[in-house]
Amino acid sequence: MDFDFDYLVRQWPALMRGLAITVQVSALSIILSIAIGLLGAACRLMRVPVLSQLFLGYVEFIRNTPLLAQLFLVFYGLPTIGLKLSLFWSGVVTLTAWAGAYQVENIRGGLAAVTKGLHEAGLSLGLRPWLFFRLVAAPIAIRVSLPSMLNTSISLLKNSAYLQTIGLAELTFVAIDRIAMDFRTIEMFAAICVIYLVLVLALSIGANALEARLQRPFRS
Amino acid sequence: MLKPNARTIVLTLALLGTMTIATKDTAAQTQLPPVPAAIKSQGVLRAGVRCDQPPYGFQDQNGQFAGIEAEMARQIGAWVFGSPDKTDLTCVTAENRIPQLNAKKVDLLIATLGVTPERARVIDFSQPYRWGGSDLLVPQNSPIEKLDDVAGRTVIMLKGTTQAKWFEENMPKLDTLKLNTSSDALQSLKQGRGDAYTHDAATLIVIASKDPDLRIVGEQFAISDAAVGVRKNEPEWVAYINAALVKMKEDGLYRGWVEKWVPADIRQFYIDVFTKPRPAAR
Repeated sequence: MDFDFDYLVRQWPALMRGLAITVQVSALSIILSIAIGLLGAACRLMRVPVLSQLFLGYVEFIRNTPLLAQLFLVFYGLPTIGLKLSLFWSGVVTLTAWAGAYQVENIRGGLAAVTKGLHEAGLSLGLRPWLFFRLVAAPIAIRVSLPSMLNTSISLLKNSAYLQTIGLAELTFVAIDRIAMDFRTIEMFAAICVIYLVLVLALSIGANALEARLQRPFRS
Repeated sequence: MLKPNARTIVLTLALLGTMTIATKDTAAQTQLPPVPAAIKSQGVLRAGVRCDQPPYGFQDQNGQFAGIEAEMARQIGAWVFGSPDKTDLTCVTAENRIPQLNAKKVDLLIATLGVTPERARVIDFSQPYRWGGSDLLVPQNSPIEKLDDVAGRTVIMLKGTTQAKWFEENMPKLDTLKLNTSSDALQSLKQGRGDAYTHDAATLIVIASKDPDLRIVGEQFAISDAAVGVRKNEPEWVAYINAALVKMKEDGLYRGWVEKWVPADIRQFYIDVFTKPRPAAR
């Protein structure tokens, strides 16, 4: 077998540039998708008229269509109705919309842990619905749904590889582009798999630390 | 071992045949060397051709393989096995063609394959059978009139193509948008995500002739040779293919295939690339 380490060393700067794009697009999408998740879950649970139904339709649309089709819809479809996003923002919008739908469901599951008694207690203390959500429901729901939110965020990070199809120069794009030029298949795919692994592990460690931090008040 | 003897006899016969023909009419006729036993024993010629590169290799309305390179594959099949139906064509893409060959899914590639040193590292090439240049496809009203006009603009290209390589080496500062398929590239050009789409001139000429909103810039660059790709260490097979390519040219087969698959208004371009010597360019 000839595994050319020197080749990888030469391509390392290009891979790191790809990694930077992957991290940027994923981090931004993870944050935005959690915001959508919170908003959607709140609307769904509080049965906000119109918005609740809109979020339901949105979740079903995203969960029942392939991510690649959603990406092409954003990248090639939206310009025909006059909305042309850059490569980067096409990626952010698609990944955010995709993960956002799952986060709505994750957080809705967490909010189910907020019992009726808590709700009544909150109301009797004079908390308005929004304050109750912000001060009581959301902190509980986030603790409960953190593991599944992490799952979705990991999937988002890995699914950012799809963005190579629209030409965004993220990590997988760099690998496939170089393979098409130099045919160093095993070197490149091995390298990006290791990089993704490290990235996802870092994300998991971060989320676990956050989970431990959030659990602090409840530890005996 | 009987094999070398048999080959000697065939060669002698072939030589005798050449001499007989030469005495009959003065035109020199290439005789095909013996077919390698490994190919002959398969009973069928397995060739990789393109499915999305008209007029070289594509699929017609019925999903049948069509185009000049598909005809070449069938012709070689006919010479090897006595019938063009003994050719088993496989659809290959720019990315998977070399892996398909090296995984022994096909025995040869006639698949718009340009000769490059990187590819020569992993496969062997026959003699070139045509040359092909690159060009730029731009919107009709584009200010781009020559190759250098793309400086400071975005050029769309496909990953791993001759053009991607050429721009990387010759205009490394250029903004590029690299996509996976011709239809993605064309769509992106029409939506203004790039100022020009660079690909093989032969492909772009077909697109421009069908789409009144687009035109060819017309300055060819990165001219390369297209050749048949075969696996490494199959010298007998390469020799056979080389002889077959010479025979195609001698017999004037290319003109007929071009007339069969290319509309009259753009035919001359294709006749030139198969029959005329390669021009000088950047």
